[in-house]
Amino acid sequence: MTTPDSTLIPGTFEMLILKALSLGPIHGWGVAERIERLSDGVCEIQQGAVYPALQRLLLKGWVIASWRESDNGRRARYYRLTASGRAHLQQELTWWRRAIGGVDRVLRSTTEES
Amino acid sequence: MGWWHGLRERMSAWTRPAARDRDLDTEIAHHLDLEADRLQRAGLTPNEARRQALERFGDRADVVESTRAARRRPGTEGIVQDVAYAIRMLRKQYAFSGLAVATLALGIGATTAAFAVVNTVLLRPLPYRDADRLVFLREVTATHSLNPPSHPNVVDWRDRAQSFDGVVSAMFPSAATVRSAPSADPLRLTVMGVSRGFFRTLGVTPEQGREFTDEENTLGGARVVMVSDEFWRTQMGGRLPLGDVIVNGTAKAVIGVVPPDFSFATPAGLNRLSSSADPVMIYLPHEQAPGTCRTCRNYMVVARLKPDVTIERARAEMTALTAAMRAQYGTDITAVDVDVRDLRDYVAGDHRTLLMVVLGAAALVLLMACTNLVSAQLARGWTREPEVLIRTALGASRGRVIRQLMIENGVIVFVGAAAGLALAAGLTRIVTAVGFNQLPRLAELSIDGRIVAFTIAVSAATLLAVGIYPAWRLSRADAAGALRSTRGTGGSVRAAAWRVLLGFEIALALALSVGSALLVRTMANIMTADTGFESHRLLTASITPSERDVAHLDDARVDLAALPGVEDVAYTTRLPLSWGSNAGPVRRRTDPPGPDWPAFAGFRMVSPGYFDVLKQHVLQGRAFTSADGEHGEPVAIITPGIAATLWPGQNPIGQTIGTNYLFDEWLTVVGVVAEASIWSQPKGTQNEIYVPYAQHLHALPGQTQLIAMIRAAMGPDALTEPVRQSLRRTLPDSPALIRPMDARIEQSAASRRFVMVALTTFAGVAIVLAAIGIYGVLWYMVTTRSREIGIRLALGATPGVVQRRVLGGAVLIAIGGCAVGALAAMVASRFLEAQLYEVTPHDLRTYLASAGVIVLAVLAGAWLPAWRASRVDPLETMRAEVS
Repeated sequence: MTTPDSTLIPGTFEMLILKALSLGPIHGWGVAERIERLSDGVCEIQQGAVYPALQRLLLKGWVIASWRESDNGRRARYYRLTASGRAHLQQELTWWRRAIGGVDRVLRSTTEES
Repeated sequence: MGWWHGLRERMSAWTRPAARDRDLDTEIAHHLDLEADRLQRAGLTPNEARRQALERFGDRADVVESTRAARRRPGTEGIVQDVAYAIRMLRKQYAFSGLAVATLALGIGATTAAFAVVNTVLLRPLPYRDADRLVFLREVTATHSLNPPSHPNVVDWRDRAQSFDGVVSAMFPSAATVRSAPSADPLRLTVMGVSRGFFRTLGVTPEQGREFTDEENTLGGARVVMVSDEFWRTQMGGRLPLGDVIVNGTAKAVIGVVPPDFSFATPAGLNRLSSSADPVMIYLPHEQAPGTCRTCRNYMVVARLKPDVTIERARAEMTALTAAMRAQYGTDITAVDVDVRDLRDYVAGDHRTLLMVVLGAAALVLLMACTNLVSAQLARGWTREPEVLIRTALGASRGRVIRQLMIENGVIVFVGAAAGLALAAGLTRIVTAVGFNQLPRLAELSIDGRIVAFTIAVSAATLLAVGIYPAWRLSRADAAGALRSTRGTGGSVRAAAWRVLLGFEIALALALSVGSALLVRTMANIMTADTGFESHRLLTASITPSERDVAHLDDARVDLAALPGVEDVAYTTRLPLSWGSNAGPVRRRTDPPGPDWPAFAGFRMVSPGYFDVLKQHVLQGRAFTSADGEHGEPVAIITPGIAATLWPGQNPIGQTIGTNYLFDEWLTVVGVVAEASIWSQPKGTQNEIYVPYAQHLHALPGQTQLIAMIRAAMGPDALTEPVRQSLRRTLPDSPALIRPMDARIEQSAASRRFVMVALTTFAGVAIVLAAIGIYGVLWYMVTTRSREIGIRLALGATPGVVQRRVLGGAVLIAIGGCAVGALAAMVASRFLEAQLYEVTPHDLRTYLASAGVIVLAVLAGAWLPAWRASRVDPLETMRAEVS
């Protein structure tokens, strides 16, 4: 079973895919490429892992796929965020910022407050 | 809409998994190319780029497997998945699924259409306000016959009965000459007289204007009429103000328009030979000329029950009122009681049984469709056993397997029901269009919520009937046995089950065929029934001669007779065979006037030559001649029934006879003529008294209809137009309604015709279904027993012997099924007995002929499998077994 690279916090992979798709419809390779490029290579993933993840998102109805011609003239399966996918991404982001903020505060604390 | 996209994704993942795998392969290949391109642009060699792209992608097989697994996550293990799987299975076996769906659509469609007719005619409330409070009133005589009452009696009911919020009456519809304006062409239309408060009591509001006031609807009231919506729109151009119309030569003010959906309850079981089957166009206030004879029988009466009064209380009151009226009016009251019944029951009348027969027949077709499907499922189960076993072996519980099979059936039934409903919608349209216009209220026929609910209920029952047994059998499939050989020599238990199912189907088909054949013969008997005259090649043209036209009747007759193709023409005041609705008493001079009339007879005024034109035999004495004119001796011709009653054993010729149609006139009997009899009445009871119309021209006012009976040399239809033109020339004020006599007789049996057409259609479908059933099962038997057949052939059986064995088996099943079906038909055809004419429900020839047709159908169905059995190659089967 391919899993996201262990450098990723569990549960964030699908959020990253949704975020990548929120920038515009793209095919599977484009999703992987966007995540790598936008994280400046920090989030290095096994590229194949996007396909099972995309399949799960399809089943949840957050993403829909359609075949069309890509930039290089070949037929490619493009994934697009649905309205409910966009809403879900918003929820995830809100949760993520709170969680990160919490973790960050813990890590930056210097004294034990009473 | 997220759930919708997700659902579609799930469905496609389950219905088209191979396509989805191909998609994924394409995607991955493209992905690797793109990645390799990118790496190459970054400076790697093509080979190195390719290698790194593969590495960065990860294990390809792993990705494919994970993606597949993601498609069927645990959450998708549900109904959706089962339905998708079922659709996939059924698409693969499209021949089976198509046949199953078509079969069910036929069964469900037929049943739904039949129910739609039942719903409209029997169940739906009549289109009046609070129709369930309306009752129909008729007099009951001492001999238990039901008769319409006379106007004086209706007035007594109206004035004295306390149970009702209104008692209203209508006359039986009749024809009149109507012009929508003084310059318009005259039309012959159906008119009906109505009493005071008629529309008010039924709860119908005129769409324009108003109803008759009580002051208008009385002796000497203003000259007013109401018109139907159709007449107002098509003949009056929807004009406002409404203005005048001319009815039988008199201008009358139109005061109201009756709404389009209104029709007065068509009386069921009435003699339908009159022209009054057409919709009523003009309503007249009949109390302007109130009937005065208390013993007459000529009004349809409807009453509205007061809110707190039950129908039983109304009955009790009417019984008491009848007794009081007998005490008051003596022998003028011929009734002993009054029949009070729900108006809807009266309208449905004897159609109830007929429609129930049709519905029952449709249900039998559905039952056959189910049986076919069950046997096909068993056969399919045979070939599907390995699949089910593998699924069971992989851990599917029995409940799970049954559920899956039930869902497959559910999909078939659902599609079949949808197609059936569409079929029913089409069928009801055909039924309405074709008319069968003698069924009451058929114009209201449509598919409504109740019918859809009925279809759903029927489909659910179908699903249970079709699915349970095969699912149960399959779920019990013997794993060990099946793994040994998936192509055994055929379970004997299942073969027996098949024989029973097929025999059952054949029995149903036979019962339906017998029913339809009995009705076909009934219709044939009715059309060839001895009417006492020659009804073929006879055209009838009915007119209401205006006073000016009466003087030209002879010219008109001469002109008609001169038309090419016309042999002879005569007039009568009433159509032959329209007996019963106004028979009047006849008596000898010695009989005192009073209630005890010795005989009743229909009354006709005819022209000389009438009996010649009809080819009705003069048995004794003479026919009328032109000498029987205005100044001749008043004469009459009678039927043998009158002669036998009034002058038993004596010569009737020269006797004098009186009839209450001609008060104070005594007629000399100059002839006895054979009875002209309609099939629906017993022979020997249809007495008639004929008088020459030239002697009673004063009795031919503008209101009376006159019918020209035209004997054609060839088929009468081609004469319709020439006759119409001739009459327009000679009698310009009197438009004619022209119809072949045979069509009128046929119309008198229209409800039987409806049942006959329905049953014959159903029987045809049933026979086809039986043949398909035989074909399907035998085909599977032959396929699955090819080893056994191969061995037989190898041991020296000739192909002919093998073929005969298969056919013989089918014929045995057919004969067994026919025997059971014959017994069922003997029981069931009792419901048809009252509708049959000149054929008994146990008619042997009908049974044998039906059985013959079915055996032929079975042989047709069995022929192909038998042929295939004889073509089995013994070597091939042996080799297949060894390998």
